[in-house]
Amino acid sequence: MIPLSWYLFLSLILFTIGVLGVLIRRNAIVIFMCIELMLNSVNLALVGFSSYIGNEIGQMLVFFVLVVAAAEVSVGLAIIIAIFRNRLTVNIDEINLLKW
Amino acid sequence: MSLFDVAFYVLAFITVGSAIVVVSSRNIIYSAFALLFTFFGVAGLYVLLNADFIAVTQVLIYVGGILVLIIFGVMLTTKVFDVPVKTETLHVGPAIVVTGAIMGTLFGVILKTKWFDILNVQWDGTTKKIGERLMTDFLLPFEVASVVLLVALLGAVIIARRERVKS
Amino acid sequence: MNFYNDLLGISPVLIVSLAGLIVVILEALFKKGETISYFLSIISLILAGLFAIYTYSMYSTAFNGMVAVGGYASFFNFIFCVGALLTILLSKDYLAKRNINYGEFYILVLFATAGMMFLASGVDLIITFLGIELMSISLYVLAAFARTDPKSNEAGLKYLLLGAFATGFLLFGIAFIYGSTTTTNLKVISANFQNYQNDFLFWLGVGLLLVGFSFKVAAVPFHMWAPDVYEGAPTPASGFMSAVSKSAAFGAFVLVFIFGFNGTNEQVRYAIAIISVLSMALGNIIALSQTNIKRMLAYSSIAHAGYILIGLASANELGKQGVLYYSLAYILMQVGAFGVVSIVEREENKALNINDYAGLGHRKPLIGVLMSIFMFSLTGFPPFAGFVGKYYLFASAVQAKMTWLAVAGVLATLVSVYYYLNVVINMYLKEQPAEVLNNPEQEKISISSAFAVLISAIGIFIIGILPTLVTRYFEKLF
Repeated sequence: MIPLSWYLFLSLILFTIGVLGVLIRRNAIVIFMCIELMLNSVNLALVGFSSYIGNEIGQMLVFFVLVVAAAEVSVGLAIIIAIFRNRLTVNIDEINLLKW
Repeated sequence: MSLFDVAFYVLAFITVGSAIVVVSSRNIIYSAFALLFTFFGVAGLYVLLNADFIAVTQVLIYVGGILVLIIFGVMLTTKVFDVPVKTETLHVGPAIVVTGAIMGTLFGVILKTKWFDILNVQWDGTTKKIGERLMTDFLLPFEVASVVLLVALLGAVIIARRERVKS
Repeated sequence: MNFYNDLLGISPVLIVSLAGLIVVILEALFKKGETISYFLSIISLILAGLFAIYTYSMYSTAFNGMVAVGGYASFFNFIFCVGALLTILLSKDYLAKRNINYGEFYILVLFATAGMMFLASGVDLIITFLGIELMSISLYVLAAFARTDPKSNEAGLKYLLLGAFATGFLLFGIAFIYGSTTTTNLKVISANFQNYQNDFLFWLGVGLLLVGFSFKVAAVPFHMWAPDVYEGAPTPASGFMSAVSKSAAFGAFVLVFIFGFNGTNEQVRYAIAIISVLSMALGNIIALSQTNIKRMLAYSSIAHAGYILIGLASANELGKQGVLYYSLAYILMQVGAFGVVSIVEREENKALNINDYAGLGHRKPLIGVLMSIFMFSLTGFPPFAGFVGKYYLFASAVQAKMTWLAVAGVLATLVSVYYYLNVVINMYLKEQPAEVLNNPEQEKISISSAFAVLISAIGIFIIGILPTLVTRYFEKLF
């Protein structure tokens, strides 16, 4: 039987990879993917807690996280396309009219 | 070691391995496809955790929606206009130190905490339970979530459409 | 509570979101629907404000303990309506000036307001989370609203990437709190609080929530997005983001940390105090060297987040009242100050330097006086609301035996005198630029914008002289 802490460790490893990706990558779309990794790790932790505790609130929260993730990605890609149209780049270190 | 345990290890390996590819790959298309395997791996873990509804939703929304959207984004901003995509990394050293410090603390805390480690709750299908609660106790968040989606839809259209010609 | 009462309780949110939906349809039906949308938004916000006052005495929760109703929630709903109303009044001419006069701007302001109302009244962490997201997603789009302006696009992208990053931390915090308490309801957590005193997992969750909230209020060291976003976004939207959305985040901050977690514990309060000192110090010092007035106001807004955090660090009755009072005062002064900036600003991001304000006090006496009032109030000079708010916050720190925090606040205020007064000195004592003198019609002021800044100035003056007008509503919040 797999104990809960293993799922949590797995979730933390995913979260770490996601955070690292956001910090080191410079392509805006890759940063989005890394943010999705972070959200997935949160979802994994929530489902793990929910199953071991035995109430479904955690799983419902996952449902709302899914909604929000979809919303954020759609707005984000729209902004990226607008930037691309004006500047022809999606690399955040080249988008530097304002200081980063 | 039971079959269940083997399944956990395999899925965990797929998830973490492909997540590393997402972060480290130099080719943005490889990153996007590695993300696909991460999503499937996580969905498999949900199945092991008896969360059938969430597992299906994960496949439908993440793989069917979000990932397709991301790949569209990649296609729209790279292939069509043939602009080289830079995928190198920035300031790796400090980032590793910072994340290492944060995550070390988190791991420490999890090790220190006592756990209810046995999955002693028997679930027989979560879909009905989740559906019932969404329509009763969690009606308000459900409605707010729909407004969030509406705003995202509107926002995406407002920003990404072509300039309206003003007379 | 029955369903009708629930609906009445959340009527301010309901009115604002319904108005948003109606404006969406109007925009689709009419080619030139901007004017209709503008008036409809104004009417709905006034109506929502009136309903917020009407529901003040309800003191309850609605929808199975999801949102607070009356008292605390009504106060915040009311001040968000005020802030959103001022923003909309200011934005009409600004949008026309920038050639982005689309009715969608009002839709987004309305939905962002609805999100703020949920955020500041959510008794369940799920509502807090969804409120934050509804608010943030609307604000991301508002920041990028000037689509053809690369600066605005960039502001939107930075805000979104860092906002989503912060959401990850916030959610992980919620997950840990759920894991240790088996619930997300703040009332239940508050009632069983002594059980979690020694639960590491719980305090880890609290820490991650602190990180998430600090991002949303732009406190150091999670502030790096704020100056860029506030500079790049359309000016009235910058005022809206920096003042109103920050107040909303503070509303949730107080609700979660003081009511939900019973004021937390010593260590967390010290962590908040350190964040507060860092924000005050860094915000004020960097603001000194800014030449762009929007960036200057952005850095000063980081400092103001620091002042408000004092109230959370002391976590006593006075601190709570200070946060609430300062939220209102801050909305009036910051939206007002950004309003004046949006009036003075010209096409293509011109006239945003502090030097461009030279001689403004002689050219436009009314605007000069109003801008001086905002600057004096932001500094914290006596007859204005900024002074009373700071007095409450600093006094709460002394009462909580954190005198060093109050001293840091006073020192930070002294530093801020320089850059706020610099604007006033520029307006009255510097020579006017010849270029502006030759074509004075460049600085036309419309009635609605002037009305909005006038109202904010009068509001600052009234609640500054008679703070009891506001503070008597703080006696019973729940």
